[in-house]
Amino acid sequence: MSIELAGYLRADGRWGARNHILVLPSVVCSGLAAERIAQMTDTIHVVHQHGCGQVGDDVEHTERAFFGMATNPNVGGTVVVSLGCETIQGKRLADRIARHGQRLKFTGIQLSGGTDKAVDAGCEAVAALNVVVEQDTRRPMPPSGLLIGVDCDDEHGVQIAQALASIAESAGAGMVLAAAGDKPTWSSGPLAQAATVAYGDSAPAGRISIVEEAGRGSEQHVALAAAGAQVLIALRGRGRPPVGFAICPVIAAAGDTRTYTALVDDFDVDGSGEPDTVARSVWNRTLEVFGGRETASERRGARDFSLGRLARNM
Amino acid sequence: MSSLELTGWRRKSGWWGIRNHVLVLPTNAAADLAAGRIAEGMAGVRAVAHQWEDAGDDRDRERILRTLAGFSSNPNVAVALVLGITQDDREIAERIAATGAAVEFMAMADHRGTNGSVEAGRRVASGLADRAAALEREPMPISDLILGLECGGSDALSGITANPALGIASDRLVELGGTSVLAETSELIGAEHLLAARAVSPEVARRVIEVVHAFELAILELGVDIRGAQPAPGNIEGGLTTIEEKSLGAAKKGGDAPVSGVTDFAIRPATKGLYIMDTPGHDIEQMTGMVAGGCQIAVFTTGRGTPTGCAIAPVIKVATNTAIFNRMRLDLDLNAGAILDGDETLPSMGARIFDEIVRVVNGGLTSSERRGNHEFAISRTSYPVPA
Repeated sequence: MSIELAGYLRADGRWGARNHILVLPSVVCSGLAAERIAQMTDTIHVVHQHGCGQVGDDVEHTERAFFGMATNPNVGGTVVVSLGCETIQGKRLADRIARHGQRLKFTGIQLSGGTDKAVDAGCEAVAALNVVVEQDTRRPMPPSGLLIGVDCDDEHGVQIAQALASIAESAGAGMVLAAAGDKPTWSSGPLAQAATVAYGDSAPAGRISIVEEAGRGSEQHVALAAAGAQVLIALRGRGRPPVGFAICPVIAAAGDTRTYTALVDDFDVDGSGEPDTVARSVWNRTLEVFGGRETASERRGARDFSLGRLARNM
Repeated sequence: MSSLELTGWRRKSGWWGIRNHVLVLPTNAAADLAAGRIAEGMAGVRAVAHQWEDAGDDRDRERILRTLAGFSSNPNVAVALVLGITQDDREIAERIAATGAAVEFMAMADHRGTNGSVEAGRRVASGLADRAAALEREPMPISDLILGLECGGSDALSGITANPALGIASDRLVELGGTSVLAETSELIGAEHLLAARAVSPEVARRVIEVVHAFELAILELGVDIRGAQPAPGNIEGGLTTIEEKSLGAAKKGGDAPVSGVTDFAIRPATKGLYIMDTPGHDIEQMTGMVAGGCQIAVFTTGRGTPTGCAIAPVIKVATNTAIFNRMRLDLDLNAGAILDGDETLPSMGARIFDEIVRVVNGGLTSSERRGNHEFAISRTSYPVPA
């Protein structure tokens, strides 16, 4: 089976399904400034409650998540907005993102002298990035450039994930999985041979892999996007509602028809059917979404961002 | 010195609000977007967003429910509109109602998802805002005021200018029968003995030592170095060297008043006077906890300059030095750096902060209210959350 895809080729060799400019606050305290910049420039931003009062391995864990958002192949350029005194130092994060080869601008509230000045500087930064980013065009890409991110949390979801892994494998595409389900169900099928990826590391191209310490619920979206997935497939079991994500389109599949019907505007597919059939229809939708078809999460402008953490704030 | 006449809204809970907001509260992260859109551009209507998705085995569930319900029943909220996913998500609304606070509930599943919920929710919120606007301010006893004390982005001057000046204002409120809440347990490490010595009873003294030591123990159990979080990089750049030095300065926000009691995160003080609330030093988690614990207003001192506020409570931000006050003028409210400049004394600055509290209680806006800051964060104690 051959697939034809076109995406945005990034400096690190990965392919984007979208060409976003991301406005990323390094700490909760610069979240409003980031929100204002994104509103004024029609770019995407994430809202989060992290970045300060953090200790131990949790600091690097969070910084890797932020780095992963900023360098996700759907992102053509990033503006980091810092407060200045925070634990996750915005400048250090920005330098790390730039070293990866990402187009990067930095602004800070304390550096600029207040929220308004930081917002002005951020808008100018977006304009400067946009001159370059808007030159990016979709180009034909190999199937191995596609990396789908799948999260599931129940047995039915795992079965769909197994079927998706088979389809992705035969197409030569990659799939990265985050799962809060029971590991024993992976003892057979394509997932049993999956490679493991550390949180924040890039998943291998053209292979099936599982991201470690992915968290639970929609925290898994961050883990999958940090691994480089361009399109997320959320298999929402146990009546869980659909949650969107700013950086990647999310194909939300309901685990049961009742939940699907009740929240039909926010779901993309009813995933309650036979796993192989659901996997096939989700896969077909993924190819369309990669090429530009909007998901329900994109239509409603969802920018949910739930970060899994290793330690409490101090 | 200005007059001491305060006005506010007396709620059915018996508590007094100094603002009259409609708050749209999502019960689940999946409702954040709809909640924000319901409130968008509607006068008097506010929303907060959080990343919690209710899962039954969450060890922090009770703490989180308490935070969300406490925040929404703060008397600055005329009525809360709780936005759940299904009709089964009424638990928070029921907890709000149990305090006597006004609450309405709607479920996204009754409206096919986000768009329908926004449309229906805006109609409901608009009606609630009209109802709230019909309520009038009345004279309010100062003894019903609960003031949150906060510092963030501290520097070497915090403990010399803004914090002791705030302590004077806090002492005055306590003398007049009101309540002040000192928090940030991690920033009391090294100052606990001084606070315990001011406790009204041996039991309260024991609790002061206990909560600070429990925090230290949590840090030890993680096997981590607290430096980096406390003091944070900006604190160190601002001239603070150790957590003890930071704490001795931070504790000065509580003045010299006797310590009446110790309360847990997001729990309202049981009596009046100076209370210690057990919160992290994380500015936004602390603010959320204090407001969920009944604070109608907060004073927030800063040396490095921080812009944050709260969706439903005015926050008066006080600079510790003139340079940051001038540099971030539109993010700040008062300048305690004037003490160093020779333009104010500690007592006169304390009086100035107290006067500003009175002005703001009576409806005067703060910088974060003008800007519309709505930072919000839930404090967890157990990570990672079990999968």
